[in-house]
Amino acid sequence: MIYEKYYVWSILLRLYHWCLVISVVALVVTGFYIHSPWTLTTLEGTGLYPVLAMRNIHGLAAYLFTAAILTRIFLLLFGNRHERITDMLPVTSRNLRNMSTTFCSYGYLRDCHDDERLGHNVMAGMIYILTMIVALFQVASGFYLRLPENTFWQKWGIILFSSQQHARYIHHLLMWYFIIFALVHIYLVIWNDLTNEDGITSSIFTGNKFRPRGIK
Amino acid sequence: MSDTTQSIDLNVELNRRGFVKACTMVAAALGISEAMIPKLLEAATSAERPPVLWLHFQECTGCTETLLRGSHPDISRLILEIISLDYHETVMAAAGHQAEKSLQDTLDKYAGKFLCVVEGSIPTKDNGIYCKIAGRTAVDILAEVAPKAAAIIAIGNCATFGNVQAAAPNPTGAKGVRDLVFDTPVINVSGCPPNPISFLGTVLHYLTFNRLPVTDQLGRPLFAYGRRIHDHCERRAHFDEGRFAEEFGDFGHRNGYCLYKVGCKGPETFANCPSVRWNDVEAWPVSVGHGCIGCTEPKFWDTMTPFYERLPNVKIPGIGGVNVDKAGKTILGIAAAAVGIHAAVGIGKKLSRSTKDDKKDI
Repeated sequence: MIYEKYYVWSILLRLYHWCLVISVVALVVTGFYIHSPWTLTTLEGTGLYPVLAMRNIHGLAAYLFTAAILTRIFLLLFGNRHERITDMLPVTSRNLRNMSTTFCSYGYLRDCHDDERLGHNVMAGMIYILTMIVALFQVASGFYLRLPENTFWQKWGIILFSSQQHARYIHHLLMWYFIIFALVHIYLVIWNDLTNEDGITSSIFTGNKFRPRGIK
Repeated sequence: MSDTTQSIDLNVELNRRGFVKACTMVAAALGISEAMIPKLLEAATSAERPPVLWLHFQECTGCTETLLRGSHPDISRLILEIISLDYHETVMAAAGHQAEKSLQDTLDKYAGKFLCVVEGSIPTKDNGIYCKIAGRTAVDILAEVAPKAAAIIAIGNCATFGNVQAAAPNPTGAKGVRDLVFDTPVINVSGCPPNPISFLGTVLHYLTFNRLPVTDQLGRPLFAYGRRIHDHCERRAHFDEGRFAEEFGDFGHRNGYCLYKVGCKGPETFANCPSVRWNDVEAWPVSVGHGCIGCTEPKFWDTMTPFYERLPNVKIPGIGGVNVDKAGKTILGIAAAAVGIHAAVGIGKKLSRSTKDDKKDI
């Protein structure tokens, strides 16, 4: 079979993706450390500041994470047609059709493919939108905890989370969303690469996807 | 030793020296210039000091006790001296009808001029029957007094955020003053109990400048609640350098390391405890080896407990409280099992299809 190459993911989207990966890994690791520091806690006279260092990395990664999320939100509105929000939610008949196809292929119901589509399937699209919303809450609670005296974050932090302690609790719970998301996301990418021929894994490096010649 | 004990001055009169000393302490807590101290003194001795109505609702009187039994006698004397307490159930001489009469007299005579201090939460459920004084509910009393007050000082976590009475499931519908009063300025001097100096600072600020001090979003005066305990804590260096007490009584605890890992809520709590300290003996909970429990924060019984853990438990109906990370790991486990099953079904399908295809080939 002859395949044709299509340019799907822009450089900005791929950059966003990898910034998100790096920042989430750093945030989860340092976040667990800040929650319960696991280094030897009786060291005297070392001149090391492990908790301070971890908090600094957490803060740095948080700015990368925020930048990544804002980039993705920009692309939801102004990206190419595969990256826009209209391609990700079940709001058009084409997207609704894709949802049933995706459901039947993920459920092994029939041998079904949506060959006309190059971007996200709509189920993934919906989860990504949910992830953006969760990420915004994570950013808000994070900045509220980080900058408690800042009047902007204080105002919004209290409206959204009430006390610092409650914000911290929400911040910690939402972290688990990202861990579980990563597991399911990596599994489904591998699964899609095994069952489809569009080259989904390499597309996040190169931006290109493939489909057999002749299909429009 | 016994001689000095006996020679302690038990005089309850506030002398000039003690008065100036106490005002200076308050000025330091307020963070105002020493040049302002004469103004504070002037305001505190002015003959036109507003009378104070002190309302007790659902509370333990611990806030009053803290104010009156401060080990620094000048502070408590100053409180009694500068504010003319027309109605305070704990310390007033009058009782019964006489007491209620003095409340009414003040309301009539000083409408719009008196200061109202509220101690205790207000139960709102079932028409407020869970707290009644002289046959009237707390809701009714507050509804009568609040509109006539110049300002209200809510003292203690009960009056500010409802405290333990408002903890889930809040059987009496307890609420703080700011949830019920909207037309009169309310300032929240939170804590369980609050530091007497924070209360006195608020009152003196009002008397001196004729307005309430600047507050945060939750109505707490910034001079006392502007910083987190963690940021002024004397154990902060141990935190940054990663030295922690792992449990009470261990090496770290005995060496004065940070109490973060035994559940200190200093990083989430706004209060001036580390700088102003308590009882005039340079002590406060963290300095004597117990973590902060976050008593100045809203809903602290629901969010700061368990007191010796960092985060509250996830409440799952039917199961009860589960540790956050245990809940997270369980959900992650379920997700991993679902992924495993999905993959196994896929492999199974593929295998059965390939055997069918093999048969076709034959």
